[in-house]
Amino acid sequence: MSASTSLGSWLRAPIPASPFQARMQALWLGWRRLRSNPPALAGAILLLLLLATATFAPLIATHDILAQDLTVRLQKPSSTHWLGTDDLGRDIFSRVVYGSRITLYIAFLAALIAAPLGLIIGTTAGYLGGWADTILMRLVDIFLSFPSLILALAFVAALGPGIENAIIAISLAAWPPIARLARAETLTVRKSDYIAAVRMQGASRMRIIVHHVMPMCIPSVIVRITLNMAAIILTAAGLGFLGLGAQPPSPEWGAMLSTGRQFVMNAWWIAAIPGCAILLTSLAFNLFGDGLRDIMDPRHG
Amino acid sequence: MAEAAVPARRTGGVAAPGLPSWSGTALRVVVSIAVTLFGLMALTFFIGRMLPLDPVTAILGDNATQEAIDAMRAQLGLDQPLWIQFGRYVGDILRLDLGTALTTGKPVLDDIARVFPATIELATVGIVIGTALGIPLGVMAAAYRDTPVDYFVRVFGLLGYSTPNFWLGLMGLVLFYATLGWVGGPGRIDTAFQWDVEPVTDLLLLDTAMAGQWEIFRNVLSHIILPASILAFGALAYISRMTRSFMLEQLSQEYVVAARVKGLSWMRTVWVHAFRNVAVQVVTVVALAYAFLLEGAVLTETVFAWPGFGRYLTNALLAGDMNAVVGCTLLIGIIFVALNLLTDLLYRLFDPRTR
Amino acid sequence: MAEPRPRRMPTRRRHILAASALMASLALPGAVQAATPGNALVMAWNIDAISTFDPAQIGEVVTSELLQNTCDALASFDPKDEKNVVPSLAESWQVSEDGQQITFRLRDNLVFPSGNKGTAQDLAWSMHRVVKLGFGNAASLTEYGFTKENVEQMITAPDDRTLVMKLDKSYPTGLILQAIAANRVATILDRKTVMANEVNGDLGNKYLATHTECVGPYRLRQWNAGETVVLEANEQFWGPAPKLRRIIVRHVAEAGTQRLLLEKGDVDVARDLTPEDMAAVEKTQGLALSRTLKPQLVYWGFNNANPIFANEKVRLAMRYLIDYEGLGKTIMAYNGVPRASFAQIGAFGALDEKEGQPFKLDLARAKQLLTEAGYPDGFETTMIFGTLPYAPPIAQHIQANAAKVGVRIKLEQMANAQLFARHRGREFQTAMLAWQTAIPDAHGNASRLIANPDNRPEAKLTQYPSWRHAFQSEAANKTVDATLLERDESKRVAMYHQLQKDMMQSGPSAIMFQSVMLAGLRGNVRNWTWHGFQAYYALVSKE
Repeated sequence: MSASTSLGSWLRAPIPASPFQARMQALWLGWRRLRSNPPALAGAILLLLLLATATFAPLIATHDILAQDLTVRLQKPSSTHWLGTDDLGRDIFSRVVYGSRITLYIAFLAALIAAPLGLIIGTTAGYLGGWADTILMRLVDIFLSFPSLILALAFVAALGPGIENAIIAISLAAWPPIARLARAETLTVRKSDYIAAVRMQGASRMRIIVHHVMPMCIPSVIVRITLNMAAIILTAAGLGFLGLGAQPPSPEWGAMLSTGRQFVMNAWWIAAIPGCAILLTSLAFNLFGDGLRDIMDPRHG
Repeated sequence: MAEAAVPARRTGGVAAPGLPSWSGTALRVVVSIAVTLFGLMALTFFIGRMLPLDPVTAILGDNATQEAIDAMRAQLGLDQPLWIQFGRYVGDILRLDLGTALTTGKPVLDDIARVFPATIELATVGIVIGTALGIPLGVMAAAYRDTPVDYFVRVFGLLGYSTPNFWLGLMGLVLFYATLGWVGGPGRIDTAFQWDVEPVTDLLLLDTAMAGQWEIFRNVLSHIILPASILAFGALAYISRMTRSFMLEQLSQEYVVAARVKGLSWMRTVWVHAFRNVAVQVVTVVALAYAFLLEGAVLTETVFAWPGFGRYLTNALLAGDMNAVVGCTLLIGIIFVALNLLTDLLYRLFDPRTR
Repeated sequence: MAEPRPRRMPTRRRHILAASALMASLALPGAVQAATPGNALVMAWNIDAISTFDPAQIGEVVTSELLQNTCDALASFDPKDEKNVVPSLAESWQVSEDGQQITFRLRDNLVFPSGNKGTAQDLAWSMHRVVKLGFGNAASLTEYGFTKENVEQMITAPDDRTLVMKLDKSYPTGLILQAIAANRVATILDRKTVMANEVNGDLGNKYLATHTECVGPYRLRQWNAGETVVLEANEQFWGPAPKLRRIIVRHVAEAGTQRLLLEKGDVDVARDLTPEDMAAVEKTQGLALSRTLKPQLVYWGFNNANPIFANEKVRLAMRYLIDYEGLGKTIMAYNGVPRASFAQIGAFGALDEKEGQPFKLDLARAKQLLTEAGYPDGFETTMIFGTLPYAPPIAQHIQANAAKVGVRIKLEQMANAQLFARHRGREFQTAMLAWQTAIPDAHGNASRLIANPDNRPEAKLTQYPSWRHAFQSEAANKTVDATLLERDESKRVAMYHQLQKDMMQSGPSAIMFQSVMLAGLRGNVRNWTWHGFQAYYALVSKE
C-alpha cells in the first residue's frame, strides 16, 4: 500500500492488495449501501441510541429506579418526573431507561444461545446427511410445529417464571429456524470444490464443519438472528406481560406494561410508555435487519 | 409472529420434495407425520412433567389434608414410573382423551371444542381484513418499487411486525371504547343479547345473520372489529411483504416488458398478468398467516376478555392446569402440522413449477 | 357439549328480545348501546378460582359466596349482624343442658330442584359425606370431634324432620352454630340425584363439580370456567322468591376492564376494582360503592424452621418494616384496613381497631431488633407471593424498606396453586398470602394461625398455617384450648385479648391487613346486601 493514496481511493481500489483491505472494502461498501437505504439507516441509528441509553443508563436516569414514594404515586408527566410515576411512586422515565438494559440483555443472550445452537445442529445435519440429518431435522420439525410464543409459554410454565428461565424458553423456541437455514446453506457449500480440496488434505469432519462450513453460514445466520431479535423482544415482553418473565421490582418493559394495565383508565401513560419503548426497539431491529439482509445478501436486493 | 421462519418452512416442510412418484411421496408423508406427531407427544409430555405446579393442590385446594392429597396422587397415576405415565398419556391421546381440565372439571377436548369457535371467528375476520388490505398494498409496493409508496408499505409492514399486539389492544380499548365509544367493549357480545342467539355454528356473526337478527349482528360486529383489526395488522404485514417480493420476481420477467411494449397500461400489466402468476403463492402465504393469527390470538384474547382458545390457554397457564396447557399445546402443534401440509399440497397441486 | 345452555331456554325469550330491540332502537346511532337484562343481575368478577361446586370440596371465596345462594345451610347468618345466627333449613334448635347435643327441627317444605323432597336423612348423609371425602372443608367438622369413624353415630336423623348433632365437648353454643350450622358443610344435598351420578365411589364429587343439587333460592344453571356462571331462581324454593330471576357472573380478570364495563352499563356490579377505580367510581354519577369488612387477613408469614426466622426478635423486626399507614392509605386504600392481630375486626373476642394494630414503619427499631438478634448487617431471604393484585406492590414496598436495614429480599411471584404448594410444603423462607376464616369468633383464626397440635414435619398438618410456618408454642396451644371451653364470656374475651397481644410480638407471621370487600354498583341496583360471611343475592332488585 502506497503512502500517497488517500483513504478513499484505498477503499475504492478495484483489486484489494491484502485481506485486511478486502475486508475494509466490504465494510465500506456495506456502509454505502446502508447510507442509501434510509429505513435501514434509521434502524441503525435507533439501535445505536438504544445501546447508548443502556450503556449510559446511570447518567441518563433522573431518579433511583427502586426508590419508592407512596405520596407521589400515579403522577402525570411533569418537570420532576418526565414520564410520570407508577403505582409505587417510582420514576417511569428512569425505569424505562434502565429497562433497555434488560431488553437488550434478554435479546442478546437469547440470540447468543439460539444462534450457535442452530448453527451447530444445522451444519452438522447438512454436512453429515443420512440418519443424522433425518433425526436432527425431524427434531427441528417438531419444534417448528409450535408457534414460538406458545412454545415459550409452555417452557416457561414448566421452568417457572423469571428472567433466566424466560431467556432459556425463548432460546429453545428460536433455534429451529436457524438450524434449518444453516442446513440449507450447508447443502450448497458442501458440494463446492474447496470443501472437496480440504477433505482431500485429510481434514476431519469435525474440522471441516467448524472451520470451513460454519464460517460460510455465519453471514446469513446473523441476518436471520437480527430479524429474529424483534420477535424475541416481543415474546419476552409478552411473557413479562403475563407475569412469567422478569420479576418485580425489575423495570422490564413487559412487566411495567402489565402493571400499567391495572391503571390504564386513570393513568394510561404507565402502560403506553413501556409499550412505545418495546415498539421502537423491535422496529429498530426489524429495520436494521432488513437493511442488513439487503447489504449482505444482494440476491434479495 | 416471526416472518423469517415462515418461508423457510416450505423449503423442507413435512413432505420431502424431489421424489418421483406420488405414492412414494404419500408414504413418506404419512410416516413423517406419524413421527412428528409422536415427537409432539413426547415434547408435550416432557413439558407437562416438568411443570413445578402440583396438580393435586390445584384440585384439592389450599386446605386439604395430606391423606386426601396422597389418595388423589394415586388416582391420577402420579405415583407410577415415568415411562408408564407416558404410555398412558399416548394411549389416552390416541383415544382422543386429553384428560380432565383441573380448572373446569370437564374434559380438555370438550373445553377446547367449546372455546374454539370464538377464536376461529376472530381469526377469520382478522384474516379477511389482513388479506383485503395486505395484497393490494404488497402489489402496489412492488409496482412502484423504491418510491414513497414502497417505503410506506414496507415501514407500515415492519410496524406490524414490531408492535406488541397486547399493548395495541389495550390502547385501542382505552381510545375507541372508553373514550370515543366507537366500538363494543371486551367480550363477544353485550350481556343483554347473550341469550338471544340460537347457537348453530357458535360463530356469532354467522348465527345472527342466518337468523336475521341484524341488531345483534351489529352488536357482535362492534365487539369483534377492534381485536380482529389488531390481529389483522400482523397478518397484513406478512401478507403485504411476501406479496411484494413475489411480485418483484414476476415484474423482472421478460413477459412484463413484452406486455409493456404491446402498449398495455402498467396497472393492467401488474394486476392481470403478473399477479395471476403469483396468486398460488399468495394463497399459501395467507394460509400460513392464518395459522399465525392463532398464535397472536393468545395475548389479544387476554386483553379483550375474548372467550376463546388463547384465553383458555393463558388461564390454564396461570392457574397451573397441566392437562389443559399440555392439551392446548399439543392441539396447536397438530393444527400447525396440518396447515403446513395443506400449504405444501396446495403448492404441489397448483404451482406450475413443481408440477 | 352436554351442558344445557340457558340461551336455548324459551322462557320469556321473546320478551327479552322485544325489550332489547326497543332499547337498541332508542339508542343513538353507533355500535354501542349497553344495558343489562332487566330481570338479571350481571356481575363482573374474577372467577378464575372456581374449580368445583361440590360443597364438600370448595374452600375458596368466590365459590363459597355463590354456594351460599344456591345451598342453604341448617342456619344462616343474619343479614344485619354477622355474629347473629338465624334459622334457615332448620326452623328451630335446642341445646341440651350439658351443651353436648343440639337437636335441629327442619322445615317441612324442603324440595330439591329435581322435585325430590329433602329430609333430615339427606342432610345427615350430606354431612357424613363431607367428613368421608376428607377435603379441606372437612376440617370444619373434624375440629369439633367428628371423625370418619364416628360421624355416623354423632350426626343422626331419628325422623324426617329431626337432626341430632352430638359433640365431644361442651363447646360454646354460639360458636358451634357459627362454625357448623351456618357453614357450607351443613347443606342438604339431593342424595338420590347425586348417588345416581356417582363415579367410582366418589359420592358424586365429579357430578357436583358442575351441578348444585341443593335447597336454596338459586341453582346453578351454567358454568363455563373462566367465562361465566349463571344462577337461576329455584322454582322449588321454600322461602320468598328472589327478586331477580338470574344472576350472571362474567369472568373479567382485569380491574380496569371491570370499571369500563360498569361505567358503560354492561354490568350491574363490579367486584374487583382497584383503589384508583374505586375512587373514580365513587365520584361518578349513577354509580355507587358498597363495602364491608371480610374475615380475611393478608399476612407475611415466616418459616420458623429457618434459623433466622426462628428468632422471635427477627420476626418482630420484620413487623417494623411494614408501612401500615402508607400502604393503608394508598395501595390498600379501599380494599384493606391495617390489622396486626390474628382476630379479625368484628369477631367475638377481637381487639379493637387501635389496639389490634400498634405497629408503624420504624427502621431504627427494626435495625435495633436485628442487631439484638445477631444480624446487625441484615441477611438475605426470599418472599413468595401469588397473583392478588395488591401483592406485587406490597411486596416491593417491603423489599425497599428492608433493603434500608440490610435485609435483602428476593421476590418471586407465582401462580396461586404453586404458591399454596410451596407454602404447605414448608418450601419457602417468607411468603405473603391471605387467610380467611369461616366463623366470626377469634377461635376461628386462633385454632389455625396460632395453635399447632403437632409440629413434626411428618405430621403434615398442612391445613394449619401455623404448621406450615413450623411454629409451635406450648403456652399458646394451651391458651387456645382453654379459651375455647371457657364458658364465662367475659373471661373468654379477656383471654383472647391477652393472646392477641402476645402473638403480635412473637407470632409466626406478620399480619398486615384485613381485607375489605368492595363492589361498584350501578345506580339502579337496590338492596345489595352482604357482610363478611354471606352475600344475599335473593334480596337484590333493580329499578
